[in-house]
Amino acid sequence: MRFLPLLIGFLFSWGVVGVPAAQAQERHTLSGYIRGGAARELLPGASVAVPSLVAGATADSAGFFRLVLPEGRHQVVVSFIGYETLTREINLTRSQRLSFLLPESANTLGEVVVEASGTLEQKLQTTQMSVERLTTKEAKLLPALFGEVDLLKTLQLKPGVQNGGEGTSGLFVRGGSSDQNLVLVDDAVVYNPNHLFGLFSVFNPDAVQSVDLYKGGFPAQYGGRLSSVIDVKLREGNNQKFVTSGGIGLISSRLTVEGPIVKEKGSFILSGRRTYFDVFTRQLNNLNEGDPDYNPIPDYYFYDFNAKGNYKLGEKDQIFLSGYYGRDIFGFNSQGGFNFNFSWGNTVGAARWSHVFNKRLFLNTTASYTRYQYGITNALDQFSFNLSSDIQDLALRTDLDYTPNDRHTLKFGAQVIQHSFGVGRLQAGSGDGRLNLGSDVGYSGQEAGLYASDNFKATDKLQLDYGVRLTGFRSGSDVYGGLEPRGSARYSLTPKTSLKASYALMYQYVHLVTNSGATLPTDIWYPSRLSVKPQRSQQVATGVSFLLGDGKYLLTNEVYYKWSRNQVDFKDGAQLFVNPDLDSEFLFGKGWAYGNELYLEKKTGRTTGWVGYTLSWSKRQFLPQRGTSGINEGRTFYPNYDRRHNITVVVLHQLRERLNLTGSFVYTTGNATTLPAGRFSVQDVFGGDVSVAPIYPDRNSFRLAPYNRLDLGLVWKLKPNRWFPESDLTFSVYNAYNRRNPYFVYFDQLENEDTGQVLGYRARQVSLFPTIPAVTYNFKF
Amino acid sequence: MLPFFVSDFPRSVKYLPPFVRPLVALLPLALLSACDLQKDIDVELPALPAQLVTECYLEDGQIPRLTVTETTPYLASPIPVLPLDVTVVLTLPSGRRDTLRFQPGIDSVQMKGYTHIGRRPLVARPGDTFGLEVYDTKGRRVTGTATMPSRIPIDSLEYKFNDRPAEDRKAYLLASFQDPAASTDFYRLQIHKDSISSERERDFTLDDRLNNGKLFTVGTSYQFDAGDTLLVTLYHIDQPYYLFRQSVSDARNANGNPFAQPSGIRSTVQGGVGVFTVLSYDRKQIILR
Repeated sequence: MRFLPLLIGFLFSWGVVGVPAAQAQERHTLSGYIRGGAARELLPGASVAVPSLVAGATADSAGFFRLVLPEGRHQVVVSFIGYETLTREINLTRSQRLSFLLPESANTLGEVVVEASGTLEQKLQTTQMSVERLTTKEAKLLPALFGEVDLLKTLQLKPGVQNGGEGTSGLFVRGGSSDQNLVLVDDAVVYNPNHLFGLFSVFNPDAVQSVDLYKGGFPAQYGGRLSSVIDVKLREGNNQKFVTSGGIGLISSRLTVEGPIVKEKGSFILSGRRTYFDVFTRQLNNLNEGDPDYNPIPDYYFYDFNAKGNYKLGEKDQIFLSGYYGRDIFGFNSQGGFNFNFSWGNTVGAARWSHVFNKRLFLNTTASYTRYQYGITNALDQFSFNLSSDIQDLALRTDLDYTPNDRHTLKFGAQVIQHSFGVGRLQAGSGDGRLNLGSDVGYSGQEAGLYASDNFKATDKLQLDYGVRLTGFRSGSDVYGGLEPRGSARYSLTPKTSLKASYALMYQYVHLVTNSGATLPTDIWYPSRLSVKPQRSQQVATGVSFLLGDGKYLLTNEVYYKWSRNQVDFKDGAQLFVNPDLDSEFLFGKGWAYGNELYLEKKTGRTTGWVGYTLSWSKRQFLPQRGTSGINEGRTFYPNYDRRHNITVVVLHQLRERLNLTGSFVYTTGNATTLPAGRFSVQDVFGGDVSVAPIYPDRNSFRLAPYNRLDLGLVWKLKPNRWFPESDLTFSVYNAYNRRNPYFVYFDQLENEDTGQVLGYRARQVSLFPTIPAVTYNFKF
Repeated sequence: MLPFFVSDFPRSVKYLPPFVRPLVALLPLALLSACDLQKDIDVELPALPAQLVTECYLEDGQIPRLTVTETTPYLASPIPVLPLDVTVVLTLPSGRRDTLRFQPGIDSVQMKGYTHIGRRPLVARPGDTFGLEVYDTKGRRVTGTATMPSRIPIDSLEYKFNDRPAEDRKAYLLASFQDPAASTDFYRLQIHKDSISSERERDFTLDDRLNNGKLFTVGTSYQFDAGDTLLVTLYHIDQPYYLFRQSVSDARNANGNPFAQPSGIRSTVQGGVGVFTVLSYDRKQIILR
């Protein structure tokens, strides 16, 4: 911590240098909060711009903005997706606080009729590149699988982001694996953001305000993962009146209650959802009770709750409390007395104190708790078997924003995390005590980070954002650390053309133990310790952006190259569960990813949307090591989420005032996968049960057929009635042209039905989802 | 009924993803069971060179028999390829080299085919090391060595019937044995009904990672009837054979499991594919009454 004063001093020196220039130009700071709608919710990410000066700022995670302008009259444009754009003339004679309230658009589809283009212009001007912002309002318009709106799946439609397979919400960003994403909800980490093997994400759209996805050019305040930052902000609730809203869908329903704690001073929001698939399967099981040939369908459901409250302690202080609790429950009770129960989920809590020291200095301090755990219990007669694993974090971070003058905006802060890794707990026993087997493998770790960065407007055309993050990790006697320089730059060739570049170095000290290539509930996290060194990656990216068609379109092209070391994989046949010597099962290698992302977006007018095309490569190499031949005997291979081509088209069109049509199309190269090329027969000690053993060639040497899919949606906003002043029906058709996309391929043997004689072998392709229509009724009162 | 392993926890835990696979399928497949979501496809697979496959389990008092086949492309004809020009040499602990005869046949006791056979019963004691050399006229050569593990006795066999009506009454079986503390040990426990030539009822592969030096108890589900005669065989196996079995099982499970990472076969021999090991076992019989 002794570095903090040094870092602050270093950065303040920039401010001192910059002050005389600022004073000479008589510039003042305009700062304040941006709120939106009748609920007066804070709007992180909303933009404030003065188009005549090509100047602008974005509200931070607390909805607070600062903009340094020359003295005089200015026309300020404040905008945010889903809200009417506000234009106000101000006469700036001194630094002043001014908060803006954006009216909500006339209907839920307001974002498609916003007339100004502040968002795109802001995107053009900012130094931050490789970032995508998505609001719930935007995601709610798009068609979704089973009608379940999912922000993470919507992010998969952005360039540079691949999915993990049909229907899954896992994100693979610029060649990184899913465990290399830092998923934050109100600044608290979420370790497993999925329900049901990734078919749904844990984020209830009713409780989420927005999601920011950073693919590169990572700001210095983020650290701990290599590939991306997914920063989810929860809504704060209506601070004017009590409102109840919800939705009834095909497989789940949602209910949200929000309202003021004290009007204008604080508000709360409580939101929950639950699937009801189990209600039907239980009925089916009851109907077939007593049928010896019937195999009961196991119970499965998931639920989650979100809660958030905020309270203004005074003009300068505000506190926020956020919480998430979600569980997936799977249960099976056989008629033979065998019971199997499996549950998993996240528990997340965060408390944030926000303090404005003055118009130049702003503080956020957050204490958070997060836990991901799974537990399996088996029981038969007097025997029982329990297995569980968890990861638990207690974290404290403080972030300060300081704007010494119009040229510099400093961000600095510190973070400490206490990790507890419950790698595996096993308890097996019998009622009579004769059998008692147990194991408990666990570790702890401490992670710390210290950062500072400066956004420097060097000239009217050149803007730099540079910083550094110092991180460290300790587990037992093993200590690691590293310096993570970050930097990005924007150069305005013309008012409508920007060149951008960025560099980021990232360390990751915690590792996901899985060899499945997918995020599963049984995933285990493991600290850097012994031979398992921190993962490290570096990424450079360059881009060019053009504002076209009077600011209606933004065309962006980005090229990136990322190289990583200490990437982890596992030995063939590795024992990953309850292994006190798990360290020895790891393999370590290198990774490379590079590609080009082309992105055209339109956010104004009756028709909005985007088109993206990504050309990319992702490679890994694990040389012979630890008594093994590595992977593919040291030859490079493509991870299964490597996709050469990825095209996405998203269109939202307002047909009438209350009727909107949406559609999304995806085309992508097929997954890289491993299929057995050869086989041999094994008779075993005793014959009579000859089995076929597959021989696999190089890992992921086969490509599944290309994936393509069209989804269509229709949102029909119903006329207000006595009970529901606001309601809509959302129709969606997933996979509209019924494409049989490959989920996986397996080899099967053809047998004579009478004799059982093997006649030959064939390859079979399995698809997951045909055309799936869905309807959801949403209401608000 | 789902399988339930009392002492086979490490193994069963390892295969959790397949075990919970019904969960994955639950939502979409239950809803879409009426839809045809599978189809035959043509795939172009890389051509792998044909390797010699050997399978040989030596046993004290038995004439050595060995099977030599070849690996084939996965989608090729199911008829096994028997190379006819293979020479097999077995090196005994004394250093004597016996060349096995090429004489394809069927072992009627163990119900399996073989291609090469020795001339006299083998004498094998724990600690004895045997060598194998297999070569053909194409220049392919497979070698291997195997040492006979010590014999671990079965301490006890117990069973218990459930409380269901007579027609549904079933028993589970418990087998116990003591694991030596001084070594890392691997086991295979098989249960046959009536005869070891019959299809095995249960087959566990175990290691002592979590209970080294302790009493092992292996249990089944309620699956046996009154009057059943059960033959329980406890093999004390060496690590290479354990890894071979594990890798074959992993490779088989990966075919058709989208969550599994396919793994290579860990043969106990070099220069080809397959297993060469010496069996060391204890066998007990119990009649459930």
